[in-house]
Amino acid sequence: MSTKQALLLSRNFAKTKQAKIDVAMKHGAYSMLKKAMSMKPDEVTAIVKESGLRGHGGAGFSAGTKWGFIPKDKFPRYVCVNADESEPGTCKDRLILERDPHLLLEGALICAWAVRAERIYIYIRGEYFYPAKVMQQAVDDAMKAGFIGENIKNSGWSCSVHLHTGAGAYICGEETGLIESMEGKKGFPRLKPPFFPAAVGLWGQPTIVNNVETLAFVPRILEIGPDKFAALGTPRNGGTALYSLSGHVKKPGVYELPMGTKMKELIYEYGGGIRNGNKLKAVIPGGSSSHILTAEECEDLPLDFESVAARGSMLGSAAVIVIDDTVSIPQLMIWLTRFYAHESCGQCTPCREGTDWLVRLAHRFADGWGTRKDIDDMFELADSIDGKTICALGQAVAWPTKSYLQKYRHEFEALVK
Amino acid sequence: MPRIQIDGKPVEVPDGLNLIEAARLLNIEIPHYCYHSGLSVVGSCRMCQIELEFNGRKSIALGCNTLAADGMQITTTSDEIRSIRRAVLEFYLQHHPLDCPICDDAGECDLQNYYMEHGLHDSRVDLAEKKHKHKVIDVGPTVVLDSERCILCTRCVRFCREIVGKDQLGVYGHGSDAELMNVPGTKLDNDYAGNVVDLCPVGALTDKDFRFKRRVWYLKRTPSVCTGCSRGCNISIDWETSRSYKDSGRRIQRLKPRYNKMVNEWWICDRGRYSYHAVDAPNRLLMPISNAEEREHGVSINAILARAAAKIEAIIDQNGSASIAVLGSAHSSNEDLFMLKRLFADHLKVQNIDVNLPGEANGSEDQILMKADLAPNRRGAQAIGAVPWGGEGQNGEAILEGAREGEFEILIIVDHDLTQYLGEKALHKLRKHTGYILYLSSHSNGMSEIADDVLPLAMWAERAATYTNFQGRIQRTSQAFDPLGLATPEWKYWYELAAMLGCKCDYETPQEVFNAIGEHTESFKGLRWDDLGDQGLMLTDAPEPAYRKIQCPNPLPAY
Ligand SMILES: Cc1cc2nc3c(=O)[nH]c(=O)nc-3n(C[C@H](O)[C@H](O)[C@H](O)COP(=O)(O)O)c2cc1C
Ligand code: SF4
Ligand code: SF4
Ligand code: SF4
Repeated sequence: MSTKQALLLSRNFAKTKQAKIDVAMKHGAYSMLKKAMSMKPDEVTAIVKESGLRGHGGAGFSAGTKWGFIPKDKFPRYVCVNADESEPGTCKDRLILERDPHLLLEGALICAWAVRAERIYIYIRGEYFYPAKVMQQAVDDAMKAGFIGENIKNSGWSCSVHLHTGAGAYICGEETGLIESMEGKKGFPRLKPPFFPAAVGLWGQPTIVNNVETLAFVPRILEIGPDKFAALGTPRNGGTALYSLSGHVKKPGVYELPMGTKMKELIYEYGGGIRNGNKLKAVIPGGSSSHILTAEECEDLPLDFESVAARGSMLGSAAVIVIDDTVSIPQLMIWLTRFYAHESCGQCTPCREGTDWLVRLAHRFADGWGTRKDIDDMFELADSIDGKTICALGQAVAWPTKSYLQKYRHEFEALVK
Repeated sequence: MPRIQIDGKPVEVPDGLNLIEAARLLNIEIPHYCYHSGLSVVGSCRMCQIELEFNGRKSIALGCNTLAADGMQITTTSDEIRSIRRAVLEFYLQHHPLDCPICDDAGECDLQNYYMEHGLHDSRVDLAEKKHKHKVIDVGPTVVLDSERCILCTRCVRFCREIVGKDQLGVYGHGSDAELMNVPGTKLDNDYAGNVVDLCPVGALTDKDFRFKRRVWYLKRTPSVCTGCSRGCNISIDWETSRSYKDSGRRIQRLKPRYNKMVNEWWICDRGRYSYHAVDAPNRLLMPISNAEEREHGVSINAILARAAAKIEAIIDQNGSASIAVLGSAHSSNEDLFMLKRLFADHLKVQNIDVNLPGEANGSEDQILMKADLAPNRRGAQAIGAVPWGGEGQNGEAILEGAREGEFEILIIVDHDLTQYLGEKALHKLRKHTGYILYLSSHSNGMSEIADDVLPLAMWAERAATYTNFQGRIQRTSQAFDPLGLATPEWKYWYELAAMLGCKCDYETPQEVFNAIGEHTESFKGLRWDDLGDQGLMLTDAPEPAYRKIQCPNPLPAY
């Protein structure tokens, strides 16, 4: 890792046995929880808001603002840690869960303190056996050490932590799908409104759902102060981000860099450039659900929420997928649509039926019987899904589909029979 | 009360109404599949999207999940909305088997209807790509599922969970593999199972009782009231004009629930739903029967009535009215009971009148709809006064006791099949000691075998009448078709008999009889047939009950 990396979150990733509580505490774990508990809950929320911390789960919503949505007099309240990490390309939460679980716990506890929650649920994706094991150990240790449980450190505040493993459904990462799943039901995302789980969440109670990375930043914000944190990034994009760099770079991996780091810098300086001396063709900047960007569009692109959005895509979970010139976009379309068709919960019509239809059309090009009309049909289908569904999985398939067709229409046309 | 505009038309709507319901007030239909007024909102079909302008912002919103708020402007017909609907329909139809030609729902299917109204696209699907799912699944004793036709609206799932409180249907698998099935280890065997067929917007759930029987466009519909128990659920009778050579010539093809907020909302129970089979049952009485000498040659209704009149006159002259007893029925209508009372109590001064017998068959009762009292009009009989009176009058139980000891010369019985109440010995005694038994019944049974004279009764679907349910609500039935054979409504027999016995009334129709009830009976004071409307009216001395959502006490949450 290069020295230019801002080692905020990943500071202790390389340390051995950091998952053990005594080691973690030697490195400062839980000191920020103590600090937070010496403050009023609202003060903690204010600091997080000031820091410009954005959600790293996909939507990039201001974390402090979300915490502020909790209605005044409704108890009990819950915190759900979204560790379902299943957006293709994204592999950063896993590192936190495995290598610095106490950082996450500390962040979640500070959040719980700030919103006066009495219970924290960590929803881990079903495939994460090992991270779940590490996490459970961390929870047990923290409980023994008195950071979790009744009357934490004689504050009069009690908070328990529960681990819940999913069964491998992408849709349970959508916050209301996650809540339903947590309630023991099918992971069907909830109809909106109500829009915010902060108002109506788990068992109808106020609930903060935050991504693992988002919460892990919280102790660091308290440590270095909100101003310094904010200054690390770009305006309204505080701090750093864990960029999951994958695809055709020489050195794929998770890189912690300040928000607003240039795309080229990430790919060439940290990723070591494109493999085999190939040419950069395109980049998917924020997980599979984001619009594809052509090589030209990536020039000088700062990787923060606003800048990527201004270029017509989204930073999402900061999973940067690099695509070199060996890749056929129609082939990519098959992969993309199959993923979403498989992960559609099947609740609402446009997504259930539309994703399945897109897969069939996408296959036509690979199989050599696609037509020009099929290209238009795919675009129209994506349009009929876009924004017309219960949850954002609809957009998640419609946006990239439309961008592939718009920016690489010629590749589809070349395959027309 | 929010004031809103829908397609330019202003309307003021009650608080808490969603836009689909609000639009209905203006007779504008916002098409929808998953939404049902009686069930929770899931917003999954995406058909009811409309254009909403509110607080200066324009958006696309769901009709089902948006409550009307003051100042909302709604457009249901813009190009964008049209294209959304067309897209949803096309999504639904891509794998749909389109077996309309053999589908029972054809003609009343929302997929067909909306396609004709909003879809009309050409198919873009290659036939070979159509996905196949299971067909002819036996989900329960009365219902068959075709899961290829199912559009996964989950209405049926929610009905079972929310109204009946049973987890018997569910959607399994996800994405485009999602499929409706029985919850493992269960069958759709609740007492309200038939409602899922009504609810299903397509032909996925069909009723074994109606399956492949008739095309719905051959059916006529008549509003009525179920006479299956004392609740009196509002129903529609779907019937056919010509008696078929099949199915013992049944004219009624099915009963459907008819909305009544205060009685049954959108539902009926299966007991009521299938009760219509009695109407065209092979053991209906079509002719009067005399068990005396004319038996072999047949007898006319008039001959029987004349004989009865003569006997009654003679006995009253001889012994007085105490040797006559009348066992009316709580299955009879208000008009029947009123004429019965006019004739026997008011005119002939017979005091031994009752409709209640000990040991009348009870059904199961629950907290949803079903009442244990299987008679639709016990409350009406009470209110009209078909009861023992004058201090000497004997009740049903005493009449049966007395009849065994030869206390009565004449016994007039409506509907009650005494062979079901009395042991063989008691029955034998009763028969032996009673000079004359006149029996009125819709069906032949043990009693029609032993009575002296038997008159055939028209049934509820064959006549217009009113019934008073357990709450005290008076409700109208309408005549769907003519009575079978010579069957006649009960009140007409009493009317004719009264004329023969010198009690002149001039009622030509049940309407006139009912209006007379309104003049002469305290609890019906001032009520007139025309005022009853299609939702009924309360007895004047019965308080309107508080609204109660028709639902089991422990509903399961939506899903
Ligand atoms: C289809 C779909 C899948 C998602 N999957 C995840 C996920 O795996 N992990 C995650 O943190 N957020 C996921 N999200 C985003 C969550 O809904 C939610 O916005 C996030 O957990 C909020 O946390 P944050 O504010 O800290 O980002 C997903 C959203 C959608 C629509
Ligand atoms: S958009 Fe897709 S995943 Fe989301 S609720 Fe609808 S069917 Fe389920
Ligand atoms: S069977 Fe009918 S009611 Fe049930 S989910 Fe399917 S379409 Fe809806
Ligand atoms: S509850 Fe009673 S009135 Fe209603 S349908 Fe059933 S039998 Fe008929």
